[in-house]
Amino acid sequence: MNEVVPFLQLVVTAMVPFILAAQGTMLAGRAGVFNVAQEGLMMLGASVGFLVSLKMGGNPMGLLVAALVGAAFGWFLGWVTTRFRLDQFVIGLALFFAAVGIASLLYKVVIGVTLTPPLIDTLPDIKIPVLSEIPGVGQILFTQDAMVYFAFLVSGFLYWMLYRTNLGLKLRSVGENPKAADSLGVSVARTRIWCSTAGGALMALAGAYLPMTYTGTYTEGIVAGRGWLAIALAFFGGWRPQYILAGSAFFAGMEVLALRVQVGGVDIPHQFISMLPYVATLLVMMFALRWASVPAFLGRNYDRESRH
Amino acid sequence: MTTTATPPATTPSPTTTRRGAGLTQTLLSYVIAVLLAFVVSGIVIALLGHSPIEAFRAIVTTSFKSSFGLIETVHKWVPLVLLALAFTIPLAAGKYNIGGEGQLLVGATASAAVGITMKDSPMVVLLPLVLLVGVLAGGVYAWIAAWLMDRFGVNEILSTVLLNFVSFGIVDYVASEVWSDPAAGHPTTVPIGEGGLLPLIGAPPLHSGVFLALLVSVATVVVMRRTVPGYELRAVGTNPRAAAVHGVRIGRVAVGSLVVGGALAGFAGAIEVAGVHGKLIEGMQSNYLLLGIIIGLIARGNALAVPFVAFGIAVLEVGASAMQRSADVPMEMVLIVEALILLFLLFSDVVGARLRRSSR
Repeated sequence: MNEVVPFLQLVVTAMVPFILAAQGTMLAGRAGVFNVAQEGLMMLGASVGFLVSLKMGGNPMGLLVAALVGAAFGWFLGWVTTRFRLDQFVIGLALFFAAVGIASLLYKVVIGVTLTPPLIDTLPDIKIPVLSEIPGVGQILFTQDAMVYFAFLVSGFLYWMLYRTNLGLKLRSVGENPKAADSLGVSVARTRIWCSTAGGALMALAGAYLPMTYTGTYTEGIVAGRGWLAIALAFFGGWRPQYILAGSAFFAGMEVLALRVQVGGVDIPHQFISMLPYVATLLVMMFALRWASVPAFLGRNYDRESRH
Repeated sequence: MTTTATPPATTPSPTTTRRGAGLTQTLLSYVIAVLLAFVVSGIVIALLGHSPIEAFRAIVTTSFKSSFGLIETVHKWVPLVLLALAFTIPLAAGKYNIGGEGQLLVGATASAAVGITMKDSPMVVLLPLVLLVGVLAGGVYAWIAAWLMDRFGVNEILSTVLLNFVSFGIVDYVASEVWSDPAAGHPTTVPIGEGGLLPLIGAPPLHSGVFLALLVSVATVVVMRRTVPGYELRAVGTNPRAAAVHGVRIGRVAVGSLVVGGALAGFAGAIEVAGVHGKLIEGMQSNYLLLGIIIGLIARGNALAVPFVAFGIAVLEVGASAMQRSADVPMEMVLIVEALILLFLLFSDVVGARLRRSSR
């Protein structure tokens, strides 16, 4: 028990970047915009979040600015793919590059090359009154930083919005059958742009969370493929918020397990342990995709004049 | 809601021929895109408080000022052109190979393994073997992703990317556990046998892998344009349904294109081992993958354009460190220039289409 509780507490923390990035992917994807720039947007979010926290007034400001930058990238993706119908993958890859470049450039311009990188405060744990007193569960779920609660709230909100509101119905119809949505008076372009914008903001937030919990500073390898894993997560979460939430527990579990085994001195070369999350993801995808469904218009631009 | 697991399967290849634009117009759009990218990044450099003129001069002159610079550029060009083709060939069939990095590393690992274990063999035996094994290993590694795609419907973008991360572990294991060179102070293997090294030509020395890469580029263009497999590949990319009706086996073409792409990336890895480093070094791939993709996209899937675009990008990359040294502008600026070139190029399509429509 005294092993399990801290382990699970770590897993919940490690879930946050996966939840945010994958829900962002899901939200944009449900409207038909397939964002492939996650990895870059997370790096940019990490860099911007760290720098703003360090230079101007703390973590909340860092998170806010990171979200705004992510939103700008998401908006751009939505805008050029709906307004000019440019290819979603190609633009996504171009944004991925631009984001990687800007992330490193900003860090170099502001911090420069130093032997000891400056540090920011990591996010403090907030104990939820009463609930945090529950043995075990209280420590795992209710003694966490604000972003953990935020990630769970976002997931809950997205579930409610997609399946319980009129807005959600319209949104889903844009990704499934834009022609029908269009003929019912739903603005396909506007829906897509909004979803892509919000999705980009979530992805950058996912990245900004990394320096604020794990390292206290930005390094180039900080995202370490989590952005790509987030796309995988959206797929095998079947593009549904509730399964994505569950799936991120699996991803986070693999990540924390890999770290634990490495530290624990198990007799397997650590290089193989570090492959574990990626191999496990591939194996799961082989079977999970049997039942997962994908928005019918994912990654395809809508042309009002075409026959589909 | 459909139950298919393969995401946007019917998206036609984005970068094949552009309707209605002639050669002059295409070249013009490249020139404009490059100029605009330099103007925008020049403004950024000026805002950062440096001189854009000086920065760009450093980039452009480094490669052409001295034979050392030129040879460095050509050496850089080799992995870039091969990785760009590794991305471009599957792209012609509408498949995205984002796994060039992993394929390169696995190819390099296999080449180093052969070069080390058989290090006393004569050159006639060892060199071809080192190169061949790299090609095969890269192809097999890409085949894993292709098989997952064909058999289980796993999106190839994801599987190839995930395999990149797996390959990092493989390289680290081989370079720091199996054949580790303890004197190196960084995960590096012991050198491969003398017979496995590509011969050097001239002074300052140019490794002969350059000619192999040139040969591969020419062969790719010929195969894509003049042979049945190349025709089938392009047919699948432009209109999969029509291709299927005419008896092209779409699945097999897609799998084949990914495997060939992987083989070329593996070849790049083999050449890096046999021509440049003489051993396997962790991190030797720098960001070839990113650059391979961006070259493929800027070349718009045209295999003939790839070597030229790759040369341009190699000039930028070699110039980047000179720019950092002499103008104090961080070398990451170049990555932004490259992304801007691509974005402006894509926008030129929109503008071009509008102009053609209004002039009609």
